[in-house]
Amino acid sequence: MKRAIGLIVNPVAGMGGSVGLKGTDGEIYKRALELGAKPVVPKRTKDLLFHIQNRDDITLFVAPGNMGEEYVKGSDIPFTVIGTVGRETSAEDTKRISDEMVNGGVELLIFVGGDGTARDICDAINSKVPIVAVPAGVKVFSSVFAVSARAAGEMVDAFVEGSDVTEEEVLDIDEDAFREDRLASRLHGYLLVPSVRTFLQPGKVASSVSRSSVESKQEIAAYVVEEMDGETLYLLGPGTTLRGITDEMGLPKTLLGVDAVLEGKLVGKDLNEKGILGLLRKYERRKIIVTPIGGNGFIFGRGSKQLTPEVIRRVGNESIMVVGTKDKVTQLECLRVDTGDFEVDELLSGYIEVTVGYREGMMVEVRC
Amino acid sequence: MLRETIKLDMNEVPYLPPHEVMEAAHRGLSRLNRYSDPQDLERLRELLADYSRVPEGHIILSPGSDLLLREMIHTLAEGRKVIMVSPSFFPTVQAAKQLATERLSIRLSPPTFDLNLDLLVNALAEPSLVIIDNPNNPTGDTLLDRRAVEALIENPDVLLVIDEAYYEFSGLTFADMVQSCPNLGITRTLDKAFSLAGARVGYAIAGKAFLDALSSFYAFLPQCSLYAAIEALKNPGYITRNVQRVIEERDRVRRTLDQLGAHVYQSNANFLLVRTEIPDAVSKLAEIGILVSDLSNQMPPGFIRVSIGTREENDAFISGYVRIREAYE
Repeated sequence: MKRAIGLIVNPVAGMGGSVGLKGTDGEIYKRALELGAKPVVPKRTKDLLFHIQNRDDITLFVAPGNMGEEYVKGSDIPFTVIGTVGRETSAEDTKRISDEMVNGGVELLIFVGGDGTARDICDAINSKVPIVAVPAGVKVFSSVFAVSARAAGEMVDAFVEGSDVTEEEVLDIDEDAFREDRLASRLHGYLLVPSVRTFLQPGKVASSVSRSSVESKQEIAAYVVEEMDGETLYLLGPGTTLRGITDEMGLPKTLLGVDAVLEGKLVGKDLNEKGILGLLRKYERRKIIVTPIGGNGFIFGRGSKQLTPEVIRRVGNESIMVVGTKDKVTQLECLRVDTGDFEVDELLSGYIEVTVGYREGMMVEVRC
Repeated sequence: MLRETIKLDMNEVPYLPPHEVMEAAHRGLSRLNRYSDPQDLERLRELLADYSRVPEGHIILSPGSDLLLREMIHTLAEGRKVIMVSPSFFPTVQAAKQLATERLSIRLSPPTFDLNLDLLVNALAEPSLVIIDNPNNPTGDTLLDRRAVEALIENPDVLLVIDEAYYEFSGLTFADMVQSCPNLGITRTLDKAFSLAGARVGYAIAGKAFLDALSSFYAFLPQCSLYAAIEALKNPGYITRNVQRVIEERDRVRRTLDQLGAHVYQSNANFLLVRTEIPDAVSKLAEIGILVSDLSNQMPPGFIRVSIGTREENDAFISGYVRIREAYE
């Protein structure tokens, strides 16, 4: 018997990332459009559909227009449209349609979006049916999300094959605080997901402020600054470990954004993709320095969407430096990338040396 | 609360050594006012050489193999990068942090914890001191085979130390390579299979480079430890029985935990690495009197290391595990 599966896409999810807006909640979406942001979800949704193997065993119900229907049309999976939407979609549409789907007998709900979308789905359906969450937002910190669109496809297959389900967290990230450089999160609720641990991302773990962690950040900063040369442009990703480096240099740092440093001076603050590409055209020698997100290990594709596949391609795999305290790195299963461009993700996969202290490295596997 | 604390956190063997070994330790008390006799130390070296099937000149004694590893790092890390795997035997990790100026670790990642040998070989571009515990502590898996060891010591600028603390359980050793490979050193202990954790007797089976570098390292052993070790090595047959009992229990515990839904890794040592979904399992077990090893300083959440105890101790652990799991669910 075929399983009834629903699909809802948040069409604006992830659009704030490349333009440095750290989200698309509320009016910020319009600002993202003005800055030239491009939709992220079409590719994510297509990747998801491509990787579902048990397509003959499912009946797909999708939200209308750019909330699902548009992206499924090109695939070979038959579908039925559920609900109606106006020209501009909203969180209310997500809630209403997901509720309609569940009441109509959908057994598993797939959604494409970020933490905000997860929150809306959680409000609408709670634990009535399990979900598969495809990461596409700027903020994707909740542990309900699959590690990638491909992994989400495999989770759908696991559900069809009868896997158990488990409860995972939905986090509520305060987007206004996030834009002001603060990471304020609280537990919003739980959703049920197919119990396939290796495909799920661990939730974000806040940076440690223990003495050893502070000392470790200082060690890392001292080493990185000592190794810096005057001719290289350094793009510093988000995080307190990176702030340790600018502290060592006596410079300010956008905690949740990308800054650029050259010859010990700040030459770019809270840059978006356009700003970064502008600097890359100007300087031949360049290096990206990033730190993994605690708990889930993402170095690209979560929290630093400004470092787009295009930026990563131009800088080159060999000019990426990863730093992180030993406390944080040893808690990770691996490092992860999910840039949205599978070729770039493959390029970044393998082992990379993470600077974990002064003249101390750890070779860690990067998975996509 | 259980009446007595059950210690499954230090990878000790739960059985006492034979009566003659205990008697020998007791005889050592009668010489407590004296340093150990060089002739007795020499006798122990002879017995260890015989046990390890190498010439006596390759044996270095130490009060515990962890101190020997520390001494190796102290003596040999200057001008060399110290390379280890992570996770690894934690006292060695700490010693490297304190004593080595340049360090690199190769992360062993779940779910397999395999060592990427090519990655390690590629990291040997500069003079290096490589230290690998085989079997690995805490995963229990053997990381090196003969081909891997040969690949690592091919470069004369590389000094390779293999910690074989659990050799008697794995049955895998590279001691026979030491005579022909000057840059290979092996550390072992009588703490585990010999049931002599309280005596703290460690030793190295050292290649020439290690013998030269550690020529000034001379360790007296405590009298009781020395006497006990000599007696144990005169009739080492009891360790076969120890190992057999531990392995039987290890396999039984593993099967039972598997049936209970815990993920238990294959082990070649006297402990098991367990992945559990129960949060704070170490402290919850400690609250009911069962001590297991907390790995949170080296591994992702959810991993615990459980030493194999007596059948009764293992049953108590399994019951305790069921109890905390039911409370969690």
